[in-house]
Amino acid sequence: MVPFRYNVRSLFVRKVTTIATALGIALVVFVFAAALMLGEGVERALVSSSRPENVIVLRKGSDAELSSSMSQDVLGLLRGNSAVAQGEGGGVIGEVILVITAELEGKGESQISNVLIRGMPAEGMKFRPEARIVSGRAPQPGTNEVIVGKAIAGRFKGVSEGGTFELRRNRPLKVVGTFAADGTSFESEVWGDLDVIRTSVGRQASVSSARVRLNSPADFETYRTTMEADKRANVKVQREADYYSKQSEQTSGFLVGLGTVVAILFSLAAMIGAAITMNGAVAHRTKEIGTLRALGFSRIAILVSFVLEALLLALIGGVVGLAFVQLLALVSFPVMNFQTFSEIVIAFKATPNVLISALVFSLVMGLVGGLVPAIRAARVSPVEAMRG
Amino acid sequence: MAEATSIVTLKGINKTFHRGKEPITVLESLDLDVPTGSFEALMGPSGSGKSTLLNIIAGLDRPTSGEVKVAGANLAAMSDSQLAKWRSQNIGFVFQSFNLIPVLTAAQNVELPLLLTSLSGSERTKRVQTALRVVGLEDRMHHYPRQLSGGQEQRVAIARAIVNDPKIIVADEPTGDLDRKSADDVLTLLDKLNKELGKTIFMVTHDPNAAEKASVQRKLDKGALQ
Amino acid sequence: MNIATYARRNLFRRKGRTILTILAVAVAVLIFGAIRTAVAMWNAGADEAAVDRLATRHKVSITMQLPKRYIDDVRKVPGIKAATWAVWFGGKDPKERTPFFAAFAADHNTWFDVLDEMSVPPDQLAKWKATPNGTILGDVLAKTLEVKVGDRLTINSDIYPGDWEFEVSGIYTPLRKTADRNSLVFHWDYLNNDPRNEFGKEQIGWVMSQISNASESASLSKAIDKIFDERDDQTVTMSERAFQLSFLGAFSAILTAFDLVSLVILLIMTMILANTIAMSVRERTHEYGVLRAIGFPPSYILGFILVEAVLIALVGGLVGIALTTLLINFGMGPFIEQNMAGLFPYFKTPPWVLMVALVAAGVLGGIAAIVPAIRASRHKVIDSLRRLD
Repeated sequence: MVPFRYNVRSLFVRKVTTIATALGIALVVFVFAAALMLGEGVERALVSSSRPENVIVLRKGSDAELSSSMSQDVLGLLRGNSAVAQGEGGGVIGEVILVITAELEGKGESQISNVLIRGMPAEGMKFRPEARIVSGRAPQPGTNEVIVGKAIAGRFKGVSEGGTFELRRNRPLKVVGTFAADGTSFESEVWGDLDVIRTSVGRQASVSSARVRLNSPADFETYRTTMEADKRANVKVQREADYYSKQSEQTSGFLVGLGTVVAILFSLAAMIGAAITMNGAVAHRTKEIGTLRALGFSRIAILVSFVLEALLLALIGGVVGLAFVQLLALVSFPVMNFQTFSEIVIAFKATPNVLISALVFSLVMGLVGGLVPAIRAARVSPVEAMRG
Repeated sequence: MAEATSIVTLKGINKTFHRGKEPITVLESLDLDVPTGSFEALMGPSGSGKSTLLNIIAGLDRPTSGEVKVAGANLAAMSDSQLAKWRSQNIGFVFQSFNLIPVLTAAQNVELPLLLTSLSGSERTKRVQTALRVVGLEDRMHHYPRQLSGGQEQRVAIARAIVNDPKIIVADEPTGDLDRKSADDVLTLLDKLNKELGKTIFMVTHDPNAAEKASVQRKLDKGALQ
Repeated sequence: MNIATYARRNLFRRKGRTILTILAVAVAVLIFGAIRTAVAMWNAGADEAAVDRLATRHKVSITMQLPKRYIDDVRKVPGIKAATWAVWFGGKDPKERTPFFAAFAADHNTWFDVLDEMSVPPDQLAKWKATPNGTILGDVLAKTLEVKVGDRLTINSDIYPGDWEFEVSGIYTPLRKTADRNSLVFHWDYLNNDPRNEFGKEQIGWVMSQISNASESASLSKAIDKIFDERDDQTVTMSERAFQLSFLGAFSAILTAFDLVSLVILLIMTMILANTIAMSVRERTHEYGVLRAIGFPPSYILGFILVEAVLIALVGGLVGIALTTLLINFGMGPFIEQNMAGLFPYFKTPPWVLMVALVAAGVLGGIAAIVPAIRASRHKVIDSLRRLD
């Protein structure tokens, strides 16, 4: 084995080259890790919105709450089943979902986006125990009071604590509080009273979706079969987890897919950069390599030594890139949820998975970039040591 | 007058380097007169300051103190860019390792110093041809350095040194990298430049054979001329 | 020979390295070009959208509908040349041959008068108007759904349950490159009369109007909204493009990310160039010393290095823009136009993107070389000459 110190020293001696190459790799890792973190953020926001014993019911044929619409009567059918949990936090709640157009705060009239409004009955808050008021107060049931999720609080004109906005002329909704919900996508919603909201938009006696808490997750299949077979109900029953992971799959799949494609293309450039550097290292040290070979180091030892040097170089880049990407924890990114046309504001989330993937990615860049030069190094003949 | 006959006049030259905090004196109160048209060889052990002295004469380095007059110019009073211009007009360099530019042909290497003049292309070509004829390598004009032997490379380097018609040629170990035969050719050539073209030649060398060709031999030891 | 000869010859001194560097620059320029093209094409949709068309929709939400009688009020506004209406159908292909296409239930009498970038043969248009369950779809969509005029077509909806049966009355072709070739339209009456539309009877999604004078769009938008200001359902009127974008609100964040990412690839390219130049300069320290000794002033050394760097970057840039043109205009572009016509009806690299990419490569090549060039030119001659590595 060629001592590893030899490689460390070599990188250190050629400072400018090492820094430039490592920075190139760092930038690629930054882009890659940022995309993964965004994907993790979306997944966390959407998927952790669910509980295993919870079920979401939509009209048959609808893929999302937004396009679904069912008669209020369906709720009675959904309740009439022994699998439904009773008591505090249990039961069936019907909700109405709509998106409203809102102006982004301080960005002028052209910058508009969509905000999801969820009308829920009084039990709605109890149904989601992770939601808690972080400032202001809870809304009075049956009134025009609403609360706003903390991820979008202050993002839109009128849709923040103390503000008012209209669903229909002269029917303002008043924002009285801000709520948190463990970083889930609920934090990008506005919650209000079911009846006030649905009458404002002329959807009396109908709901978009229903949430059902079952006694146990094991009851799901029977409940689903029973309800979907009921022609009067005409519904589709899904686990909340499945519903949300499908949503997050679309959105995070889009973001991670896009980010990965970009990062892989970027890595082409960075790998060429690494190859240039390692080629230079080999050319620069031909005589040294010849000497090592003359001293009895095997071709494999030389190969391994140069591959290790390339990996070390890439690892430096990877670590620097990951260090920079931590800064993203300071910003949040609005992401389009394709199912609702509305935005969910995502915090970049660095999970161990992201860190490991990013480091592996950087090592792969080092390996691919360094392999050919390392093979070249291994083929240097001991005779080179003797050349002038 | 001494001024008219001396092309190099050094008075009270001191040169100290700093290695860390330790000052190292390389040249001490050195005086030197090189008459115009002479061929001088400077010998001395490694570290005696030969190359430093050569660099000072050639305007590549400045003494810590002392007076340097070469080819009528007071080098101490000149800025770096004035020095560069002065070198291009007055000094021809010959190095131990030839120092030809590998990506340029023999002719292009010789032409390099002329790029700093206002000569026209055809005039430059004429001068390049003349210089190469002097060193006997007209037929190698379009060869690249790697296609030439060491002796030939050094002769191209000498052509480059004389192409701008300098008053003085400084040569730093010009035969150091050459075999006996090539070394002799190069020395003969230098001798010819001195005798026939009247060039002053100041040569640093280890090689007693080379020193013998010069009309004056000087020895430098511990920063002082013997 | 002249001064540039030397800089030019230096380019291929280390052939492998120069080729790799040119390749890296080319890849970077290609990626930059692709990203900028995507952004430019996205914005081009806005620039080339019909300036003489306004969309009027519910003020509160893109998902809320308007009473159908609003169309009569809009048509009475002076300056409105023609107006039509539509409802979003949420069309889905039961065989899932395409993940998304736009399907509208619209006024068959006026739809193609207003959306005049779509051309329908007169006989097919007449046939459609006379066929209650007739549909007309874009040429690209027709190909995807494997139908031709006269065929039957079944689609589903995300909003309205069950199968919906249509007869293909016609296929439209685009007259403007930004026209969406992936949409489908059928009679609004057909939807309105269907019992499955229980919640949306006599309602319309939006009004699309054509105005006589494009410069009046702002004042006409205000005039339309004013009519409905005192009614239960207020409206908001905007340009057609703004209307389309309101479905994609948060997409602007992606564009911002694209902007940043296209800068990142330029940074990566600069790093690679800086590395190559630093390595070359390091190897040639001695040679630059020789040139300085001969009398070349430092500015020449600086010039040699800068010219060489800019040349490498420009050659890489040229290769890169050739690749971009080839890949986007002949590969990716047509594919995107076929498959993502909703977002990118037209996808070609505009010449200015190529110019910007090339200039950026050249300028960044120079910037990458500045530090090594200045350092090399400031190096003391005798130190350079001494250094033999």
